[in-house]
Amino acid sequence: MQSREKEGTPTAAGQAETERYQPGSDADFERLYRTTYRRILGTLVTLVRDVATAEDCAQETYERAYKGWAKWRPDAPVEAWLHRIAINVAISDRRYQRLREAGEVIRRLGRPASGPDPAVVAERSVVVQAMKKLPPKQAAALVLRHYHGYTNREIAAALGVPEQTVASRLAAARKHLQAVLGK
Amino acid sequence: MSDLERELESELHRVLDAVAARPIPTRRSAPGRVSLRALLGGAGAALTIKVLTGVAVAAAAVTVAGAATTGSLNPAVWGQQVSDHVQECKDRIANSGQHGIGDCVSSFASQHGAAVSSAARQHGNGNGNGNGNGNANGNGSSNGNGNANGHSKDKTKDHTPPAKTSSTSPPTFDPEPIDPVGTHPPVAISPKP
Repeated sequence: MQSREKEGTPTAAGQAETERYQPGSDADFERLYRTTYRRILGTLVTLVRDVATAEDCAQETYERAYKGWAKWRPDAPVEAWLHRIAINVAISDRRYQRLREAGEVIRRLGRPASGPDPAVVAERSVVVQAMKKLPPKQAAALVLRHYHGYTNREIAAALGVPEQTVASRLAAARKHLQAVLGK
Repeated sequence: MSDLERELESELHRVLDAVAARPIPTRRSAPGRVSLRALLGGAGAALTIKVLTGVAVAAAAVTVAGAATTGSLNPAVWGQQVSDHVQECKDRIANSGQHGIGDCVSSFASQHGAAVSSAARQHGNGNGNGNGNGNANGNGSSNGNGNANGHSKDKTKDHTPPAKTSSTSPPTFDPEPIDPVGTHPPVAISPKP
């Protein structure tokens, strides 16, 4: 389990919390980055328009986190803190999405037309596409619950909202997905 | 767990695990921001920026003034103009019968120095009192003096004594000037002990 965690593969919520981090330590922040990057990226892929944007947002997330790293309290769940930042970054990105469209077109033009690129697969997934149309906070609740395995209480802590709010967001998101997917 | 939730989890893992399996990129850090902030922030940095701006403006002012006076940014053009003027002074003196071209050349050099100094002072006053004035005065004075001195040397090097048949006397550095008319007694120069 420890080796999976070091590689940053998606694990159940809370496993990263077994690691101890010293606020303000550059080495610890780098370790945190290595441990949590993939899970943060996975969350962002469902919230923003494509994988490239999700990668940008992930980097932005860690830049913002680094600024507040010295003030982070070790008693708070570090990955929940990162997810909260990531969701805010994604919300900001959605607001400025149109401004990025020109840059994205240029970036796509430079890409080789390869085969089963995971990024392309993610962007073509009906479920992921449907989640992108949800309000970011609803989509975040879904991915934290059904991909990362957080409990409602953990999601509430991560998003800084009451547990009941999480439950209602999940219910609304599922209803919307049901309608889109025809289930 | 409902079918929807099961399918949702399955699909999310299928799609997102593949994305997450890609290599973790190097973290985009901004270490330069701290040093940049230190450089651009604070009262000392503000003063540094003002000083640098003042120096740049004064240098630009001197360049522009020099270009305006000579019509060119090339200092060699100014040198050529002074050479021409020296020759003009020589010709004028040859015609008028006066001695020495120092006053004639000096007046021209002073005009240039004053023009540069005035233009630089105007730029300096417009862009900041302390730096603008200081640089403007310094550059203006040094340009005027430097050019005047330099052409004194050039005159010595390039000077060709006029023919003895000339009706005017050569420049005053000759030890015993000859008075062709014969109305003045020859000047005897005796070295002081």
